[in-house]
Amino acid sequence: MAVAISIKNLKKSFKEKEIFKDLSFQINKGDFVALFGPNGSGKTTILNILSNLIEKDSGEFEIKDFKHDNFSYIFQNYRDSLLPWKNNYENIIFPLKIQKKSDKEIENSIKEIQKIFNINSNLNSYPYELSGGQQQMIAFARGFINKPNLLFIDEPFSALDYENNLLLRKHLQDYYIKYKPTILIITHNIEEAAHLANKIIIFSKNPTEIIDIIDNQENYPRNISFLKSNNFYKIKDEITSAFQKGANL
Amino acid sequence: MKVKNFLIGPFIIFILWFFISKFNLINNFFLPGPFETIKELITLIFSGELTKDIISTILRMLFAFIISLFIGIPLGLFLGSHKRIYESCEFLIDFFRSIPSTALFPLFLLIFGIGDNSKIAVAAFASTLIIIFNTAYGVMNSKKSRELAVRLMGATRLQRFRLISFWESLPQTFIGLRTALSLTLIIIIVTEMFIGTYSGLGRRIIDFQYVYNIKGIYAVILLTGIIGYLVNAIFIFLEKKVIHWHGN
Repeated sequence: MAVAISIKNLKKSFKEKEIFKDLSFQINKGDFVALFGPNGSGKTTILNILSNLIEKDSGEFEIKDFKHDNFSYIFQNYRDSLLPWKNNYENIIFPLKIQKKSDKEIENSIKEIQKIFNINSNLNSYPYELSGGQQQMIAFARGFINKPNLLFIDEPFSALDYENNLLLRKHLQDYYIKYKPTILIITHNIEEAAHLANKIIIFSKNPTEIIDIIDNQENYPRNISFLKSNNFYKIKDEITSAFQKGANL
Repeated sequence: MKVKNFLIGPFIIFILWFFISKFNLINNFFLPGPFETIKELITLIFSGELTKDIISTILRMLFAFIISLFIGIPLGLFLGSHKRIYESCEFLIDFFRSIPSTALFPLFLLIFGIGDNSKIAVAAFASTLIIIFNTAYGVMNSKKSRELAVRLMGATRLQRFRLISFWESLPQTFIGLRTALSLTLIIIIVTEMFIGTYSGLGRRIIDFQYVYNIKGIYAVILLTGIIGYLVNAIFIFLEKKVIHWHGN
Protein backbone atom coordinates (compact mmCIF):
# COMPACT_ATOMS: atom_id res chain seq x y z
CA MET A 1 0.00 0.00 0.00
CA ALA A 2 1.35 3.46 -0.95
CA VAL A 3 2.23 5.77 1.92
CA ALA A 4 0.16 8.98 2.01
CA ILE A 5 1.59 10.62 5.12
CA SER A 6 4.81 9.88 6.93
CA ILE A 7 5.88 11.52 10.18
CA LYS A 8 9.37 10.99 11.49
CA ASN A 9 10.84 12.05 14.86
CA LEU A 10 8.43 14.94 15.19
CA LYS A 11 9.07 17.30 18.08
CA LYS A 12 6.85 20.14 19.23
CA SER A 13 6.63 22.20 22.42
CA PHE A 14 4.45 25.10 23.44
CA LYS A 15 6.56 27.26 25.79
CA GLU A 16 7.63 24.88 28.56
CA LYS A 17 5.15 22.17 27.65
CA GLU A 18 6.52 19.39 25.50
CA ILE A 19 3.79 17.92 23.31
CA PHE A 20 5.79 15.41 21.24
CA LYS A 21 9.36 14.34 21.82
CA ASP A 22 9.92 11.86 19.06
CA LEU A 23 6.73 10.99 17.25
CA SER A 24 6.80 8.78 14.19
CA PHE A 25 4.08 6.99 12.24
CA GLN A 26 2.83 6.41 8.72
CA ILE A 27 -0.57 6.52 7.13
CA ASN A 28 -1.33 4.67 3.94
CA LYS A 29 -3.24 6.05 1.02
CA GLY A 30 -6.97 5.43 1.45
CA ASP A 31 -6.70 4.79 5.20
CA PHE A 32 -9.43 6.02 7.48
CA VAL A 33 -7.47 6.82 10.63
CA ALA A 34 -8.82 7.91 13.99
CA LEU A 35 -6.51 9.73 16.39
CA PHE A 36 -7.62 8.92 19.90
CA GLY A 37 -6.09 10.17 23.11
CA PRO A 38 -6.53 12.34 26.20
CA ASN A 39 -6.93 16.12 26.10
CA GLY A 40 -3.67 17.90 25.45
CA SER A 41 -2.04 14.89 23.79
CA GLY A 42 -1.52 16.97 20.63
CA LYS A 43 -4.04 15.42 18.26
CA THR A 44 -5.08 18.78 16.81
CA THR A 45 -1.45 19.91 16.88
CA ILE A 46 -0.52 17.06 14.54
CA LEU A 47 -3.21 18.07 12.05
CA ASN A 48 -2.13 21.71 12.31
CA ILE A 49 1.53 20.84 11.73
CA LEU A 50 0.68 18.62 8.76
CA SER A 51 -1.40 21.40 7.21
CA ASN A 52 1.32 23.97 7.88
CA LEU A 53 -0.82 26.05 10.20
CA ILE A 54 1.85 25.78 12.89
CA GLU A 55 5.56 25.09 12.75
CA LYS A 56 7.17 21.92 14.05
CA ASP A 57 10.25 22.26 16.28
CA SER A 58 12.12 19.47 14.57
CA GLY A 59 11.61 16.18 12.76
CA GLU A 60 10.14 15.54 9.36
CA PHE A 61 6.84 14.90 7.73
CA GLU A 62 5.76 14.31 4.18
CA ILE A 63 2.38 14.29 2.50
CA LYS A 64 2.53 12.63 -0.90
CA ASP A 65 1.12 14.61 -3.82
CA PHE A 66 -0.29 17.34 -1.59
CA LYS A 67 -2.43 19.90 -3.40
CA HIS A 68 -4.69 22.50 -1.78
CA ASP A 69 -7.36 21.71 -4.36
CA ASN A 70 -7.60 18.11 -3.14
CA PHE A 71 -7.32 18.77 0.56
CA SER A 72 -9.86 19.71 3.21
CA TYR A 73 -9.66 20.41 6.90
CA ILE A 74 -12.91 20.50 8.84
CA PHE A 75 -12.25 22.41 12.04
CA GLN A 76 -13.62 21.63 15.46
CA ASN A 77 -14.94 25.18 15.85
CA TYR A 78 -17.11 24.95 12.75
CA ARG A 79 -18.97 28.16 13.75
CA ASP A 80 -15.80 30.18 13.44
CA SER A 81 -14.84 28.67 10.12
CA LEU A 82 -18.13 29.30 8.31
CA LEU A 83 -18.44 32.76 6.78
CA PRO A 84 -21.45 34.49 8.39
CA TRP A 85 -21.70 37.12 5.63
CA LYS A 86 -22.25 34.43 3.01
CA ASN A 87 -25.37 32.31 2.79
CA ASN A 88 -25.20 28.54 3.21
CA TYR A 89 -24.96 27.88 -0.51
CA GLU A 90 -22.08 30.34 -0.90
CA ASN A 91 -20.37 28.83 2.13
CA ILE A 92 -20.52 25.32 0.71
CA ILE A 93 -19.21 26.28 -2.73
CA PHE A 94 -16.59 28.64 -1.31
CA PRO A 95 -13.58 26.31 -1.88
CA LEU A 96 -14.61 25.87 -5.51
CA LYS A 97 -14.88 29.64 -5.96
CA ILE A 98 -11.37 30.02 -4.54
CA GLN A 99 -10.19 27.41 -7.00
CA LYS A 100 -11.99 29.28 -9.80
CA LYS A 101 -14.08 26.31 -10.90
CA SER A 102 -16.68 26.86 -13.61
CA ASP A 103 -20.36 27.36 -12.79
CA LYS A 104 -21.15 24.00 -14.37
CA GLU A 105 -18.61 22.20 -12.15
CA ILE A 106 -19.94 24.01 -9.10
CA GLU A 107 -23.51 23.07 -9.94
CA ASN A 108 -22.62 19.40 -10.39
CA SER A 109 -20.59 19.32 -7.20
CA ILE A 110 -23.29 20.88 -5.03
CA LYS A 111 -25.89 18.48 -6.41
CA GLU A 112 -23.71 15.52 -5.54
CA ILE A 113 -22.86 16.80 -2.06
CA GLN A 114 -26.50 17.56 -1.33
CA LYS A 115 -27.29 13.99 -2.31
CA ILE A 116 -24.51 12.39 -0.27
CA PHE A 117 -25.12 14.52 2.83
CA ASN A 118 -28.88 14.70 2.40
CA ILE A 119 -28.85 18.44 3.04
CA ASN A 120 -32.37 19.77 3.45
CA SER A 121 -31.55 23.11 5.10
CA ASN A 122 -32.49 26.24 3.22
CA LEU A 123 -29.32 27.05 1.33
CA ASN A 124 -30.38 30.66 0.84
CA SER A 125 -30.42 31.30 4.59
CA TYR A 126 -27.34 32.25 6.59
CA PRO A 127 -25.34 30.03 8.98
CA TYR A 128 -26.54 32.02 12.01
CA GLU A 129 -30.11 31.10 11.11
CA LEU A 130 -29.35 27.39 11.50
CA SER A 131 -28.98 25.17 14.56
CA GLY A 132 -25.53 24.05 15.69
CA GLY A 133 -26.03 20.64 14.10
CA GLN A 134 -27.16 22.10 10.78
CA GLN A 135 -24.17 24.46 10.78
CA GLN A 136 -21.92 21.49 11.34
CA MET A 137 -23.53 19.78 8.37
CA ILE A 138 -22.83 22.87 6.22
CA ALA A 139 -19.20 22.88 7.39
CA PHE A 140 -19.02 19.20 6.46
CA ALA A 141 -20.54 19.76 3.04
CA ARG A 142 -18.01 22.54 2.42
CA GLY A 143 -15.21 20.19 3.43
CA PHE A 144 -16.29 17.63 0.84
CA ILE A 145 -17.34 19.88 -2.03
CA ASN A 146 -13.89 19.81 -3.66
CA LYS A 147 -13.83 15.99 -3.49
CA PRO A 148 -10.68 15.88 -1.34
CA ASN A 149 -8.38 12.91 -1.47
CA LEU A 150 -6.89 13.98 1.86
CA LEU A 151 -9.19 15.02 4.65
CA PHE A 152 -8.52 16.18 8.20
CA ILE A 153 -11.52 16.27 10.51
CA ASP A 154 -11.33 17.55 14.08
CA GLU A 155 -14.12 16.28 16.34
CA PRO A 156 -16.80 16.38 13.70
CA PHE A 157 -19.76 15.19 15.71
CA SER A 158 -19.49 17.41 18.78
CA ALA A 159 -22.64 19.49 18.12
CA LEU A 160 -24.87 16.65 16.98
CA ASP A 161 -27.47 14.60 18.80
CA TYR A 162 -27.06 10.84 18.56
CA GLU A 163 -29.42 10.46 15.61
CA ASN A 164 -27.68 13.11 13.51
CA ASN A 165 -24.33 11.82 14.70
CA LEU A 166 -25.14 8.37 13.27
CA LEU A 167 -26.51 9.97 10.13
CA LEU A 168 -23.35 11.99 9.56
CA ARG A 169 -21.23 8.89 10.15
CA LYS A 170 -23.26 7.20 7.42
CA HIS A 171 -22.73 10.13 5.01
CA LEU A 172 -19.03 10.15 5.81
CA GLN A 173 -18.81 6.44 5.01
CA ASP A 174 -20.78 6.93 1.77
CA TYR A 175 -18.22 9.49 0.66
CA TYR A 176 -15.33 7.30 1.80
CA ILE A 177 -16.62 4.28 -0.09
CA LYS A 178 -17.17 6.31 -3.25
CA TYR A 179 -13.90 8.28 -3.37
CA LYS A 180 -11.51 6.39 -1.05
CA PRO A 181 -9.75 9.47 0.33
CA THR A 182 -7.19 9.35 3.12
CA ILE A 183 -8.95 10.55 6.26
CA LEU A 184 -7.51 11.60 9.61
CA ILE A 185 -10.21 12.11 12.16
CA ILE A 186 -9.83 13.28 15.76
CA THR A 187 -12.35 12.00 18.21
CA HIS A 188 -12.80 11.70 21.95
CA ASN A 189 -15.46 9.09 21.50
CA ILE A 190 -14.39 5.44 21.45
CA GLU A 191 -17.58 4.41 19.67
CA GLU A 192 -16.96 6.85 16.82
CA ALA A 193 -13.36 5.68 16.45
CA ALA A 194 -14.27 1.99 16.46
CA HIS A 195 -17.21 2.57 14.13
CA LEU A 196 -15.52 4.61 11.43
CA ALA A 197 -11.78 4.05 11.31
CA ASN A 198 -9.86 1.14 9.84
CA LYS A 199 -6.87 2.20 11.93
CA ILE A 200 -7.04 3.73 15.40
CA ILE A 201 -3.92 5.40 16.76
CA ILE A 202 -3.97 5.66 20.55
CA PHE A 203 -1.96 8.49 22.08
CA SER A 204 -0.64 8.72 25.62
CA LYS A 205 -0.62 11.82 27.80
CA ASN A 206 2.10 14.26 26.81
CA PRO A 207 4.88 14.11 26.01
CA THR A 208 2.85 12.04 23.62
CA GLU A 209 3.77 8.59 22.50
CA ILE A 210 1.85 6.11 20.45
CA ILE A 211 0.57 3.42 22.78
CA ASP A 212 -0.99 1.23 20.16
CA ILE A 213 -2.27 1.19 16.60
CA ILE A 214 -5.40 -0.92 16.34
CA ASP A 215 -6.57 -2.31 13.02
CA ASN A 216 -10.27 -2.61 12.28
CA GLN A 217 -10.79 -4.73 9.16
CA GLU A 218 -14.57 -4.62 9.21
CA ASN A 219 -15.95 -3.89 5.75
CA TYR A 220 -17.66 -0.62 4.85
CA PRO A 221 -20.43 0.43 5.06
CA ARG A 222 -20.60 -0.23 8.76
CA ASN A 223 -24.22 0.13 9.73
CA ILE A 224 -26.00 0.16 13.09
CA SER A 225 -25.87 -3.64 13.36
CA PHE A 226 -22.06 -3.40 13.39
CA LEU A 227 -22.38 -1.27 16.55
CA LYS A 228 -24.10 -4.22 18.22
CA SER A 229 -21.68 -6.87 16.98
CA ASN A 230 -19.05 -8.76 18.95
CA ASN A 231 -16.33 -7.48 16.64
CA PHE A 232 -17.27 -3.88 17.50
CA TYR A 233 -17.11 -4.62 21.23
CA LYS A 234 -13.80 -6.40 20.76
CA ILE A 235 -12.29 -3.36 19.07
CA LYS A 236 -13.76 -1.03 21.68
CA ASP A 237 -12.19 -3.19 24.39
CA GLU A 238 -8.81 -3.05 22.67
CA ILE A 239 -9.01 0.75 22.46
CA THR A 240 -10.10 1.03 26.10
CA SER A 241 -7.28 -1.23 27.29
CA ALA A 242 -4.69 0.70 25.30
CA PHE A 243 -6.07 4.02 26.52
CA GLN A 244 -6.10 2.77 30.12
CA LYS A 245 -2.44 1.84 29.79
CA GLY A 246 -1.52 5.27 28.40
CA ALA A 247 -3.58 7.28 30.82
CA ASN A 248 -2.40 5.29 33.89
CA LEU A 249 -5.99 4.71 35.00
CA MET B 1 -43.14 47.88 23.70
CA LYS B 2 -39.87 49.04 22.14
CA VAL B 3 -41.52 52.26 20.93
CA LYS B 4 -42.83 52.88 24.45
CA ASN B 5 -39.34 52.43 25.95
CA PHE B 6 -37.87 54.65 23.29
CA LEU B 7 -40.27 57.47 24.27
CA ILE B 8 -39.72 57.31 28.04
CA GLY B 9 -36.37 59.23 28.07
CA PRO B 10 -37.45 62.13 25.82
CA PHE B 11 -40.78 62.32 27.67
CA ILE B 12 -39.05 62.67 31.07
CA ILE B 13 -36.74 65.41 29.73
CA PHE B 14 -39.71 67.17 28.17
CA ILE B 15 -41.68 67.10 31.46
CA LEU B 16 -38.63 68.30 33.44
CA TRP B 17 -38.04 71.10 30.95
CA PHE B 18 -41.73 72.02 31.08
CA PHE B 19 -41.79 72.30 34.89
CA ILE B 20 -38.47 74.16 35.10
CA SER B 21 -39.89 76.67 32.65
CA LYS B 22 -43.39 76.73 34.19
CA PHE B 23 -42.13 77.50 37.71
CA ASN B 24 -39.42 79.78 36.36
CA LEU B 25 -36.65 77.78 38.08
CA ILE B 26 -34.37 79.16 35.39
CA ASN B 27 -35.24 82.57 34.04
CA ASN B 28 -37.63 82.05 31.12
CA PHE B 29 -35.64 84.51 29.06
CA PHE B 30 -32.66 82.12 29.14
CA LEU B 31 -34.68 78.89 29.03
CA PRO B 32 -37.95 79.20 27.16
CA GLY B 33 -40.47 76.40 27.60
CA PRO B 34 -40.55 73.34 25.36
CA PHE B 35 -43.82 74.30 23.64
CA GLU B 36 -42.54 77.80 22.77
CA THR B 37 -39.27 76.31 21.49
CA ILE B 38 -40.99 73.72 19.32
CA LYS B 39 -43.40 76.39 18.05
CA GLU B 40 -40.43 78.60 17.18
CA LEU B 41 -38.74 75.71 15.37
CA ILE B 42 -41.85 74.95 13.34
CA THR B 43 -42.23 78.62 12.45
CA LEU B 44 -38.57 78.86 11.39
CA ILE B 45 -38.78 75.73 9.27
CA PHE B 46 -42.08 76.53 7.56
CA SER B 47 -41.14 80.16 6.92
CA GLY B 48 -38.23 78.79 4.89
CA GLU B 49 -35.80 80.84 6.94
CA LEU B 50 -33.69 77.81 7.84
CA THR B 51 -33.86 75.92 4.55
CA LYS B 52 -30.59 77.25 3.17
CA ASP B 53 -28.86 76.71 6.53
CA ILE B 54 -30.05 73.13 6.80
CA ILE B 55 -28.95 72.32 3.26
CA SER B 56 -25.54 74.00 3.73
CA THR B 57 -24.80 72.16 6.97
CA ILE B 58 -25.90 68.79 5.64
CA LEU B 59 -23.94 69.20 2.40
CA ARG B 60 -20.77 70.19 4.27
CA MET B 61 -21.22 67.25 6.61
CA LEU B 62 -21.75 64.82 3.73
CA PHE B 63 -18.75 66.14 1.78
CA ALA B 64 -16.51 65.86 4.83
CA PHE B 65 -17.81 62.39 5.64
CA ILE B 66 -17.44 61.09 2.08
CA ILE B 67 -13.86 62.41 1.90
CA SER B 68 -12.99 60.74 5.21
CA LEU B 69 -14.68 57.54 4.03
CA PHE B 70 -12.64 57.37 0.83
CA ILE B 71 -9.37 58.10 2.59
CA GLY B 72 -10.00 56.39 5.92
CA ILE B 73 -11.27 52.98 4.84
CA PRO B 74 -8.56 52.09 2.27
CA LEU B 75 -5.84 53.45 4.55
CA GLY B 76 -7.26 51.64 7.57
CA LEU B 77 -7.49 48.38 5.61
CA PHE B 78 -3.92 48.80 4.40
CA LEU B 79 -2.52 49.62 7.83
CA GLY B 80 -4.55 46.88 9.51
CA SER B 81 -3.15 44.25 7.19
CA HIS B 82 0.44 45.53 7.55
CA LYS B 83 1.00 45.41 11.27
CA ARG B 84 4.54 46.81 11.15
CA ILE B 85 3.52 49.84 9.15
CA TYR B 86 0.54 50.36 11.46
CA GLU B 87 2.82 50.22 14.49
CA SER B 88 5.06 52.83 12.94
CA CYS B 89 2.04 55.11 12.33
CA GLU B 90 0.18 54.32 15.55
CA PHE B 91 1.81 57.15 17.48
CA LEU B 92 0.94 59.69 14.80
CA ILE B 93 -2.68 58.53 14.55
CA ASP B 94 -3.15 58.61 18.33
CA PHE B 95 -1.33 61.95 18.57
CA PHE B 96 -3.51 63.69 15.99
CA ARG B 97 -6.62 61.98 17.35
CA SER B 98 -5.84 63.49 20.75
CA ILE B 99 -5.57 67.05 19.42
CA PRO B 100 -8.95 68.84 19.64
CA SER B 101 -9.94 69.62 16.07
CA THR B 102 -10.85 73.17 17.13
CA ALA B 103 -7.16 73.78 17.87
CA LEU B 104 -6.44 73.11 14.22
CA PHE B 105 -8.85 75.76 12.88
CA PRO B 106 -6.17 78.45 12.42
CA LEU B 107 -3.94 76.04 10.53
CA PHE B 108 -6.72 74.91 8.22
CA LEU B 109 -7.78 78.53 7.67
CA LEU B 110 -4.26 79.33 6.54
CA ILE B 111 -4.09 76.37 4.20
CA PHE B 112 -7.66 76.28 2.82
CA GLY B 113 -8.86 79.89 3.28
CA ILE B 114 -12.07 81.03 4.93
CA GLY B 115 -14.50 79.36 2.53
CA ASP B 116 -16.21 76.01 2.82
CA ASN B 117 -13.01 74.13 2.06
CA SER B 118 -11.46 74.77 5.46
CA LYS B 119 -14.62 73.70 7.32
CA ILE B 120 -14.93 70.51 5.28
CA ALA B 121 -11.20 69.82 5.55
CA VAL B 122 -11.04 70.11 9.32
CA ALA B 123 -14.10 67.86 9.78
CA ALA B 124 -12.76 65.35 7.24
CA PHE B 125 -9.36 65.32 8.94
CA ALA B 126 -10.79 64.46 12.36
CA SER B 127 -13.21 61.87 10.96
CA THR B 128 -10.56 60.22 8.80
CA LEU B 129 -8.41 59.50 11.84
CA ILE B 130 -11.37 57.85 13.61
CA ILE B 131 -12.13 55.73 10.54
CA ILE B 132 -8.49 54.73 10.00
CA PHE B 133 -8.10 53.69 13.62
CA ASN B 134 -11.30 51.63 13.75
CA THR B 135 -10.87 49.99 10.33
CA ALA B 136 -7.26 49.02 11.05
CA TYR B 137 -8.27 47.72 14.45
CA GLY B 138 -11.06 45.69 12.83
CA VAL B 139 -8.64 44.03 10.42
CA MET B 140 -6.01 43.36 13.07
CA ASN B 141 -8.48 41.85 15.51
CA SER B 142 -10.45 39.78 13.04
CA LYS B 143 -10.91 36.11 13.87
CA LYS B 144 -7.99 34.18 12.46
CA SER B 145 -9.85 30.86 12.21
CA ARG B 146 -11.67 31.87 9.03
CA GLU B 147 -8.53 33.17 7.41
CA LEU B 148 -6.74 29.93 8.26
CA ALA B 149 -9.60 27.88 6.85
CA VAL B 150 -9.46 29.83 3.61
CA ARG B 151 -5.67 29.65 3.49
CA LEU B 152 -5.95 25.86 3.55
CA MET B 153 -8.27 26.06 0.56
CA GLY B 154 -5.34 27.55 -1.34
CA ALA B 155 -6.46 31.20 -1.27
CA THR B 156 -3.87 33.80 -2.19
CA ARG B 157 -3.02 36.65 0.19
CA LEU B 158 -5.15 39.01 -1.88
CA GLN B 159 -8.10 36.60 -1.86
CA ARG B 160 -7.78 36.17 1.90
CA PHE B 161 -7.82 39.93 2.35
CA ARG B 162 -10.66 40.54 -0.10
CA LEU B 163 -12.84 37.63 0.93
CA ILE B 164 -12.14 37.40 4.66
CA SER B 165 -10.25 40.23 6.40
CA PHE B 166 -12.29 42.97 4.77
CA TRP B 167 -15.59 41.40 5.87
CA GLU B 168 -14.27 40.51 9.31
CA SER B 169 -13.30 44.14 9.84
CA LEU B 170 -16.69 45.57 8.88
CA PRO B 171 -18.38 45.56 12.32
CA GLN B 172 -15.51 47.58 13.81
CA THR B 173 -15.32 49.76 10.69
CA PHE B 174 -19.00 50.62 11.09
CA ILE B 175 -18.41 51.64 14.71
CA GLY B 176 -15.77 54.04 13.37
CA LEU B 177 -18.06 55.32 10.63
CA ARG B 178 -20.88 56.09 13.04
CA THR B 179 -18.57 57.90 15.42
CA ALA B 180 -17.03 59.78 12.52
CA LEU B 181 -20.42 60.81 11.18
CA SER B 182 -21.49 62.32 14.52
CA LEU B 183 -18.11 64.00 14.89
CA THR B 184 -18.38 65.45 11.38
CA LEU B 185 -21.71 67.11 12.19
CA ILE B 186 -20.33 68.53 15.45
CA ILE B 187 -17.22 69.96 13.80
CA ILE B 188 -19.17 71.42 10.88
CA ILE B 189 -21.54 73.23 13.27
CA VAL B 190 -18.61 74.53 15.34
CA THR B 191 -16.69 75.71 12.28
CA GLU B 192 -19.83 77.47 10.99
CA MET B 193 -20.03 79.24 14.32
CA PHE B 194 -16.42 80.33 14.56
CA ILE B 195 -14.78 80.35 11.13
CA GLY B 196 -17.58 82.33 9.56
CA THR B 197 -19.97 81.59 6.73
CA TYR B 198 -23.03 83.01 5.00
CA SER B 199 -25.23 80.00 5.77
CA GLY B 200 -25.35 77.01 8.09
CA LEU B 201 -27.00 76.06 11.35
CA GLY B 202 -23.89 77.03 13.34
CA ARG B 203 -23.94 80.47 11.79
CA ARG B 204 -27.66 80.75 12.58
CA ILE B 205 -27.07 79.95 16.26
CA ILE B 206 -24.44 82.69 16.50
CA ASP B 207 -26.71 85.16 14.64
CA PHE B 208 -29.56 84.46 17.05
CA GLN B 209 -27.17 84.93 19.96
CA TYR B 210 -26.15 88.38 18.67
CA VAL B 211 -29.79 89.53 18.61
CA TYR B 212 -30.76 87.74 21.84
CA ASN B 213 -33.25 85.49 20.06
CA ILE B 214 -32.93 82.83 22.76
CA LYS B 215 -35.95 80.86 21.56
CA GLY B 216 -34.34 80.75 18.11
CA ILE B 217 -31.05 79.46 19.58
CA TYR B 218 -32.86 76.63 21.36
CA ALA B 219 -34.92 75.86 18.28
CA VAL B 220 -31.79 75.52 16.09
CA ILE B 221 -29.99 73.49 18.73
CA LEU B 222 -33.00 71.18 18.84
CA LEU B 223 -32.93 70.97 15.07
CA THR B 224 -29.21 70.02 14.97
CA GLY B 225 -29.98 67.30 17.52
CA ILE B 226 -32.82 66.01 15.35
CA ILE B 227 -30.59 66.03 12.24
CA GLY B 228 -27.83 64.19 14.13
CA TYR B 229 -30.31 61.64 15.43
CA LEU B 230 -31.88 61.03 12.00
CA VAL B 231 -28.50 60.67 10.30
CA ASN B 232 -27.50 58.18 12.98
CA ALA B 233 -30.78 56.28 12.59
CA ILE B 234 -30.30 56.03 8.81
CA PHE B 235 -26.78 54.78 9.41
CA ILE B 236 -27.93 52.15 11.91
CA PHE B 237 -30.49 50.98 9.34
CA LEU B 238 -27.73 50.65 6.71
CA GLU B 239 -25.46 48.95 9.19
CA LYS B 240 -28.08 46.30 9.93
CA LYS B 241 -28.44 45.63 6.22
CA VAL B 242 -24.72 45.45 5.46
CA ILE B 243 -23.46 43.59 8.54
CA HIS B 244 -26.63 41.59 9.11
CA TRP B 245 -24.70 38.75 10.74
CA HIS B 246 -23.19 40.91 13.46
CA GLY B 247 -24.61 40.07 16.86
CA ASN B 248 -26.40 36.98 15.53
